[in-house]
Amino acid sequence: MTDVIQFLWPPFLVAVCLVGIHTYFGILVLARKVIFVDLALAQIAALGATVAFMLGHSAQSMATYGYSLTFTLLAAVLLAFTRAWGTRVPQEALIGVIYVVAAATAILLIDRAPQGAEHLKQILTGNILTSGLNDVVVIVPLYAAVGLLHWLLRRRMTGAGSLAWEFVFYATFGIVVTSSVAIAGVLLVFSFLIIPAAIGVMFAETLSRQLTIGWIVGTFVSASGLAGSFVFDLPTGAAMVCAFGAALALAGALYPFLRGDRQRAMRSTIATVRWIGAVILAGSAVQLAAAPRADQPLMDLAEWAIPSLRTLYFTRAEATTYADASEHAERYRREAEQLNETERRNRTQGEALDDFTVARISSFLKSYGEMRKGEQFVVGEVRARARERVRWSASFGLLALSLLIAPLRWRWLLRK
Amino acid sequence: MALRLAFIIALCVLASPGIAQDRVQVVTTTTDLRSLTEAVGGERVAAVSLVPPNMDAEDYQPKPQDVLRLKQARLLVRVGLDYDLWVDRLLAQAGRPEISRGGPAYVDASLAIAVLELRGMSVGPGDGHAHGSGNPHYWLDPKNAETITANIVEALARVDPANATIYEANRQAFLARLNAKLAEWEAKLSALKSMPIVAYHNSWPYFARRFRLDVVGFIETKPGVPPSPSHLAAIVRDMRARGARIVVREPHEPERDVAFVASKTGAQIVTLAASVGALPRADDYISLFDVNVEALTSAAAKR
Repeated sequence: MTDVIQFLWPPFLVAVCLVGIHTYFGILVLARKVIFVDLALAQIAALGATVAFMLGHSAQSMATYGYSLTFTLLAAVLLAFTRAWGTRVPQEALIGVIYVVAAATAILLIDRAPQGAEHLKQILTGNILTSGLNDVVVIVPLYAAVGLLHWLLRRRMTGAGSLAWEFVFYATFGIVVTSSVAIAGVLLVFSFLIIPAAIGVMFAETLSRQLTIGWIVGTFVSASGLAGSFVFDLPTGAAMVCAFGAALALAGALYPFLRGDRQRAMRSTIATVRWIGAVILAGSAVQLAAAPRADQPLMDLAEWAIPSLRTLYFTRAEATTYADASEHAERYRREAEQLNETERRNRTQGEALDDFTVARISSFLKSYGEMRKGEQFVVGEVRARARERVRWSASFGLLALSLLIAPLRWRWLLRK
Repeated sequence: MALRLAFIIALCVLASPGIAQDRVQVVTTTTDLRSLTEAVGGERVAAVSLVPPNMDAEDYQPKPQDVLRLKQARLLVRVGLDYDLWVDRLLAQAGRPEISRGGPAYVDASLAIAVLELRGMSVGPGDGHAHGSGNPHYWLDPKNAETITANIVEALARVDPANATIYEANRQAFLARLNAKLAEWEAKLSALKSMPIVAYHNSWPYFARRFRLDVVGFIETKPGVPPSPSHLAAIVRDMRARGARIVVREPHEPERDVAFVASKTGAQIVTLAASVGALPRADDYISLFDVNVEALTSAAAKR
């Protein structure tokens, strides 16, 4: 357990810093309706770093940072103008164009320098798991300075100001995004920016309350994402992004309960759940009737959870064949795994296996693979035939169940 | 006028297929196969590799010129084992049955290689059989060069039968040189016996088997998927427990994650080339091993 905490607290600290500044910028970005501006700025900064790399500067040098910063500031000028230009064409479209052109230009540039591909990837896909105190030391003063500047200029940052104030907004935002994307990657930074801010905006009116809600939610969701990634053994960044997505969905589901008539919300929630269930059942009925040999997600899921459901429609012979084939497939997998393990152990332990023995192991493994695939084919075929046999009766049953669940007003329908 | 005419004629002659066909045009997918093709073909082949040096061949994005190269090729040599799947689409575009799967001038260099770590199914197009794909980095066992060069020479003899004996003689000379080197590398790497090593990506099973190196873990368990915290914690714990002092990475692999593991365990980072050209001095098949053996032995000596 101490191991876990030792591993997870530096990324958690980094996440808290990122949530702190990005929730604030997120609220401004949502108000201005420039949702994807962070992607455009990150891509421009990456383009700057790529140019520096092409000119022979190393990844961590001041020169590279200088190029990134210059490109970001130039992009900020461009972005400040987009609102004035975006009268006929939406501003978001222009931001999208900046993003794709910057990304494509960077690809064209690194095509000339092969080792640049990984370089570019590293700028845009940070890994929050391997971030640490050395990152915190850099970002805390930077974000504090940006935050202070914005607090001093708080009356100018409403989005209604002149070109110069627009430039200040995009430039400071660009500086923040450039550093955060290198630490946490594009996907996670986008989640930090939009989701806590969106939840804050959903439940509060004033900036200070929106910020407070965003910070609390962001910190809590970051912690649960990190913990989930440890417990379920998942890549950290992706797990955190999904945790943020789930938080937004939950907030959306809770919204009608917290901000309206609770009884009505309850009624409409139940109706929605019933409709979803009915549509899934009806869809499965149609799928089974139309293509009984194809995948049947609902039936597969039900049988995976309760394998004894198969006895409902398998004959005894089918059940025996099915169990037999599954067992053999598993046995071949285990034997292949054992052979692999023996070979691996012998690379360093005991007498080395000669090339002939290794070739024999290799061909055994191939045969096990073939045999396993054969057994898996039998499993699939037995199930497909059984389903084909019961296609009409089972799909009729599913359809009836679907009608039963659907919140239809039967009396009203019958009277008509 | 006469001068200009002479110049144009000279250009035409130089560019004519007559001259170009003097040397057998071979296209290989990777630089390793190019180096081995050059070793057996000598002056009689002109080999180009589609993947430039120091680029990850598994995620290579083909370019229009590559189709042109395939259209002009008389022989194609590929790694196989799902390593260079992208070449199948290029071959379909090039529309040359003789260098496509099943054709006389198509070489899947993995033919007859004793493949390690076979599990699961191949994702590539094939004949419907379950060829588990296995670990594709088989050229990193110098002994496998015997099989790879045999596959290449067999196909070269089919497309250029007149020079078949020369190709086989070249191959024998190359293998003799390689075997002498192999003994030298084995002697040097015996210093790393019972010295556990962690690698970023599982590129080294063939290399490890030949030189009896103990690769105890990988930072990246699936290509392109960042490691999970419990996996990283396990790696660090394992390295501390077993006293692993070396972390191996390839030049195209992310520095950050490797540096993180190294800083937690006090291990050294050793950059190895898994392909010819990935490091400056690894410019052919033999120097590839020279560079790697040198890097590993000097890291082991520093302990």
